[in-house]
Amino acid sequence: MRYLTISLLTFFLFSCGSYPKKQQLNPTENETAVVSNGYFSNAQHDYLYKAHITAYGKTFGGLFIVKKTGEDQHRVAFTTEMGNKIFDFSIKNNTFTVNYILEDLNRKLLLNVLKQDFTVLVKETSPTTKAFAKANTSVFETEILGKPHYYYTKNNTLDQIVKVKNGKANTVFSFSKINDNIAEQITIKHHNIALEINLKSIY
Amino acid sequence: MTTTEAENLKALVKLQAETTKTIVSDFTQYKHLDFLSNDIVTKGRLHFKAPNLVKWAYNHPFEYAVIFKNESLYINDEGHKSQIDIGASKMFKQLNQLIVKSVKGDMFNEAEFDITYYKAAQKSEVHFSPKNPEFSEFITSFQIIFSKKGDVEQVKMIEPSGDFTKIVFSNRTLNTPVNHAVFNH
Repeated sequence: MRYLTISLLTFFLFSCGSYPKKQQLNPTENETAVVSNGYFSNAQHDYLYKAHITAYGKTFGGLFIVKKTGEDQHRVAFTTEMGNKIFDFSIKNNTFTVNYILEDLNRKLLLNVLKQDFTVLVKETSPTTKAFAKANTSVFETEILGKPHYYYTKNNTLDQIVKVKNGKANTVFSFSKINDNIAEQITIKHHNIALEINLKSIY
Repeated sequence: MTTTEAENLKALVKLQAETTKTIVSDFTQYKHLDFLSNDIVTKGRLHFKAPNLVKWAYNHPFEYAVIFKNESLYINDEGHKSQIDIGASKMFKQLNQLIVKSVKGDMFNEAEFDITYYKAAQKSEVHFSPKNPEFSEFITSFQIIFSKKGDVEQVKMIEPSGDFTKIVFSNRTLNTPVNHAVFNH
């Protein structure tokens, strides 16, 4: 009985432990005031990606477009390859405006997911609350839209952003093939719903 | 353009459409979004075979092909193949018919469109504005430039926001043999 209690307690403590503990992140002194993501920070550049979206077993493609339109302001749009517009959003700080969305996709739940994903994706800076280290990776905790997010950086290059809910990774943004401050490959993978967005830079 | 000139153009395009059994053409597509610094330029090759087989194949800056065949859209997205049944959707069906028609320019249906004619140098430009509000929600105007011979040189589709997609055809050949296998998925 005692073993069972200890096992249950251990399991309980482990499953309810904080994200940094579960990931074995070691707390360090927080000397970085803000986390930065410069992958959509050049207002002169049109960011164009070929997108493959897998949602609930179905895959579809299109062009994913991001443009910095001002200080802390971005436009995020998606069209089919043939040019038909699917959606067009404006993101200013944390304010999200729908300029256009196909009627069939105009669903509150979906819009909320897209708002959260794209606000994080284009956010250039956010104040850090804690700092951690693991091997050669520095990890910074910040809060976006009221949820904790962890920025993983290697050699001062942003590698991953992990949105955490109930101590678990909820959404993982991965940036790779970094070239001239452009992430040529981006993946947004949701762990709570069957949704994955793969972006490949085309210019 | 005078009424007579407009009637002549209509007759010429209709005749051209009726006698066109195949079209092979390169195309350059310009997607204009007002907030971008530059239009998004994509390129590819179009195949058309009467009565209603169309293949748009993009080869730059990515490989993507869409075939309009029977009641379906067949997509090959860099090797990922999929099929969309458009028979069930009235809107998709209309869009499909429009794409087939716009390739030939044969859209002179006054019940469906408000049509205005313009003359520019040796060419003609015709604007087709859909009357169906369900459709004009997506496209407010198809603007087609015809050559002197009545061939489609450019199709521009204007969205309600003012953003547009412009397709410019080049190296267009008519009625050369097109192997049916081009339209295999």
